[in-house]
Amino acid sequence: METNKIIELIAKYNEGLADPSEIKLLEQWIEEGLVDLTQLRELSALDLQLMKQEEPVPSLRLDDQFHAMLAEEKKKMKRTPLSFQFPEWNMLFPRLAMAASLLLVGFIGGYWLQRPIPQGDVQALTKEVSEMKEMMVLSLLEKESASERLRAVSLTDDMDHVSDKVTKALFQTLNHDPNVNVRLAALEALKPYTKQSEVRQELIHSISQQDSPLVQVTLAELMVSIQEKKSVKELQKLLDNDRTPREVKNKIKESIDVLI
Amino acid sequence: MVKVRDGDLDRLGLLFERYKRPLYGFFYGMNRDQELCEDLVQNTFIRILKYRHLFRGDGDFKTWMFHIARNVSHDQFRKNKIRLKEDVDRWHERLGHNENKLSEMQATEEQELLNMAMARLPEDRREVLLLSKYEEKKYKEIGEILGCSEGAVKVKVFRALQELKAVYQQLEKRM
Repeated sequence: METNKIIELIAKYNEGLADPSEIKLLEQWIEEGLVDLTQLRELSALDLQLMKQEEPVPSLRLDDQFHAMLAEEKKKMKRTPLSFQFPEWNMLFPRLAMAASLLLVGFIGGYWLQRPIPQGDVQALTKEVSEMKEMMVLSLLEKESASERLRAVSLTDDMDHVSDKVTKALFQTLNHDPNVNVRLAALEALKPYTKQSEVRQELIHSISQQDSPLVQVTLAELMVSIQEKKSVKELQKLLDNDRTPREVKNKIKESIDVLI
Repeated sequence: MVKVRDGDLDRLGLLFERYKRPLYGFFYGMNRDQELCEDLVQNTFIRILKYRHLFRGDGDFKTWMFHIARNVSHDQFRKNKIRLKEDVDRWHERLGHNENKLSEMQATEEQELLNMAMARLPEDRREVLLLSKYEEKKYKEIGEILGCSEGAVKVKVFRALQELKAVYQQLEKRM
């Protein structure tokens, strides 16, 4: 029914007989897509004629103008390689969000790192470091190279407190290391612990075991400086030993005199 | 155009070669002044270059270009307040002296009459017919340019063609 009405009206329009109200209805159908413009014969012919009209051609002046403008623009781009163009909001938003979240992560990370470390943690950490250092000292003291062993002894300088294990290792070095310099260094390393009676005892015991004049003299001087009278007996042994060099004997004698 | 937007300006030369004639045709259909139309084409491409970052790449470049061209054309009319109701005789006279490359000099009587009828149409009617021609009857795209629905564009074209037919018939009688 509707289709017939449409066909009828199109025919009427094409005959030039449609009244204004019918043209209004036709417009409505065109808008709704029920009537195609090509169905309207005369208008369609006119439209076709319009489409067929030759296109005007611009002059070469337009080409010249355009290419000059483009060259200028390219020059400008080269001159300002860092020129800033405000990006579109939809491009800017995710970047801003990313920047904001990174900033937040930075703040949280900073806060976490700056947070005071609990006392217990500090102690545990110090203990751990000190244990590691001790292990290093003990392993280095067993090395064949004298310089490595010297390094091991000097490592104890940085330690506030050494364990019995390290003290024992230092005495082992003092009494048995084949290198005099290492033995002297071990003696030097033991000096801060002379307040401990066990250490003093071991030092006294070490006197008779030394065959190097340098170590003997240094030990004698140490005994004087710590005023260890118990060492006199051991020093006397050195004095009585025929293998002890004369210069050392003189020094030991001086030390004994001071101690007595 | 996406490449132009991203900084490859040489590509604009290709777009210019492809679209300068339909663009010029549109402007020429609107005001029949060769030099002015060439300037308007140039202005359109300047705007394309200036606002290239606004091209989103999800639509048709030609539609976007005609959208800009329409704005350029409107600005021009606003600036000069020119010839909305141009005298047909004067227009005809100018056409006679114009050394335009248009083949209108050799055009058939019918075509000449149609040109004259087009020139007599109001700006908005002429505009929709020219867009229909140069956008190759893509009413949806024309709707995007004019800011209305596809159906509304069809009605606009219908009305413009009706008016063109009326003017054409009047001129035919005079001849």
